[in-house]
Amino acid sequence: MMAEPPRIALSARHTSAADVAVVAAAELGGALLLGLFLLADDSRFIVALLVLLGAGFAALQIRPAIEERIVAAFRNARFTALGLGSAIVLAYPFAMQGSSYALHLLVVAQLYAVLALALNFQLGSANIPNFATGASYGIGAYTSALLAIDFGVSFWLTLPIAAVVATAFGFLLGFPSMRTRETYLALVTIAFGIVVHQLLNNFDWTGGPNGLVGIPAPTILGHSFAAPIELFGARLPSQANFYYLAAALVALAIVSARRLHDSRVGLAWNALRAHELAARCQGINVVWYKMLAFAVDAFLAAFAGSVYAAYVSYISPDNFTFLVSVTIMTMVIVGGMDNTLGVILGAFLLTLLPEKLRIFADYRLLFVSVVVILFLILRPQGLFPQRPRSYGGR
Amino acid sequence: MAVPLLETRNLSIRFGGLVAVSRVDLSLAAGETLCIIGPNGAGKSTLFNLISGIYRQSSGTVRLDGRDITGWPAHRIAAAGIARTFQSSRLFGDLTLVDNVVIGMHCRTRTGVIDALLRPRRARAEFEAAAERAGELLRLVSPGLYERRHTLAGTLPQADRRRLEIARALASDPKIIMLDEPSSGMDDRDTDALIEDIRLTMAERPGLAYIIIEHDMRLVAALPERVVVIDYGEKIAEGHFSEVRLMPRVQEAYLGQKAAHA
Ligand SMILES: Nc1ncnc2c1ncn2[C@@H]1O[C@H](COP(=O)(O)OP(=O)(O)OP(=O)(O)O)[C@@H](O)[C@H]1O
Ligand SMILES: [Mg+2]
Repeated sequence: MMAEPPRIALSARHTSAADVAVVAAAELGGALLLGLFLLADDSRFIVALLVLLGAGFAALQIRPAIEERIVAAFRNARFTALGLGSAIVLAYPFAMQGSSYALHLLVVAQLYAVLALALNFQLGSANIPNFATGASYGIGAYTSALLAIDFGVSFWLTLPIAAVVATAFGFLLGFPSMRTRETYLALVTIAFGIVVHQLLNNFDWTGGPNGLVGIPAPTILGHSFAAPIELFGARLPSQANFYYLAAALVALAIVSARRLHDSRVGLAWNALRAHELAARCQGINVVWYKMLAFAVDAFLAAFAGSVYAAYVSYISPDNFTFLVSVTIMTMVIVGGMDNTLGVILGAFLLTLLPEKLRIFADYRLLFVSVVVILFLILRPQGLFPQRPRSYGGR
Repeated sequence: MAVPLLETRNLSIRFGGLVAVSRVDLSLAAGETLCIIGPNGAGKSTLFNLISGIYRQSSGTVRLDGRDITGWPAHRIAAAGIARTFQSSRLFGDLTLVDNVVIGMHCRTRTGVIDALLRPRRARAEFEAAAERAGELLRLVSPGLYERRHTLAGTLPQADRRRLEIARALASDPKIIMLDEPSSGMDDRDTDALIEDIRLTMAERPGLAYIIIEHDMRLVAALPERVVVIDYGEKIAEGHFSEVRLMPRVQEAYLGQKAAHA
């Protein structure tokens, strides 16, 4: 510690076999747990898996050294982690035994992961409570769907257009942050969400409460996303197309999150989260950075909206209610604010739980809440809490 | 004489009926150290808040390098070259020491959202360079802080929190640095160390001007060239500490209050 060599030496990491083993165990174990959960029918088995997951997090809570060890392994064996992780994601649909339901759940979970990562820029990084992520999601979906239906614009072109439109609305929404303080800003975002919902409900050209029907599926090199994938003699249900699209979007969201987090912008957001007045005195234009957070959130949420519209081919205002925004917010809080992995995990957990607990029929939501509360008791800061930033490959 | 680095004229602020700062004229040259003393509630911190743009003046002007910066928002004043610390330290407690200092460099770095997303190499290089400099600054202010640079600021003891705040203020390469009671909450040994630290940074950056609000008379006697005494929001005396402390008006306002407190 005392005679520390310069940074260059620090950044030259060497991967040990133990690191590789830890990374492989973590990734394969996670994938296995998710697969078992997705394909399970027996309610007792599902509860047992949840208990196992809970025990895992309890162990992390009691022995922080375990978490440190895993994080260090991922840092040291970064390329192994990336390669193996990508391979797992690519191969995953083949392990779903042709279940289109499991694939559907994965598509929805991944879209929610993108939404949660989008909100994390605000709630996690900058501590701005934004109850309008669902509205940005809707604006993206409607823009994309309308362009495709009314003007025959290709899906791939609607993606960026929808994102730009939603970003413009995001800035608009961020505008009141010039004058209002936190609590009031939260109210403004709630109002914005409700206004968007009402407008979608009442305009003619948005199809009113009936929504938009017959949104065309994207095609790529002549392959329609509505058709099954046939590859290496295997046949994947059509949902697999969107699985891969959503996975690409999650990857994009993760890369954006990491790049922004480890930059001057991420630091400025963290500064205004920790102490707004002190942040101003460091030269941070607090209003501008709040508006930026709104814009980035809307940009990513709109991507998710476009994909969702093309995926289900039918959207209505009720897909984008206040409740959706609250769900996304819960995902961020349960998963862990300002922690990319945590937020994704939160999104998966809160998407899959209600689905897999359908057996509890009327008590389903009660049961979901109990599970979520238990997890929060186990890990009060979220499943994976915020970690100190690392510099120079540390 | 050339234009002063910082000049306030007739600076005043009222809170309802209370005139917290009343027609204060200050003038500071580059590289100079000015100390502000005065009894509790005299308006010293409020004066800092006026200069740094946190409060809006009721009347009067503030000029930096001859440019009128009156009424500018706090972030622009910081960018123009006035850095400060707070009486009760205001660190970014859930971030590491390095993060805190790198945030201090905000107006000396450029990366925006687009750069961060689309030019990651460049953004990363700027970020790492900032962290590198932050490490050097921490080492300059205190080797102990450098050792702990990757721990969270919220875990620091009081004396180190002050040092970190000074490092963060220095990080912006300011022209003026304003310290609000840097020794408050410190024992004598820490205060002596602080005086040494400040001397060191002064030697390191000769052009940098200091304004220091201070209660600890040892620090006042040790550091500044010039002392301004504030009482009831007004400047009642100005000069070298050895002269100022003998003025009857100062003794009445300042030392009289001390006696009353004892
Ligand atoms: N935002 C505010 N609203 C109302 N009154 C204020 C405000 N800020 C300061 N004051 C008042 O202004 C006066 C000067 O306060 P200030 O904090 O500047 O004193 P100070 O000289 O820094 O004292 P201390 O030595 O205790 O730090 C006090 O009477 C205080 O109550
Ligand atoms: Mg004060």
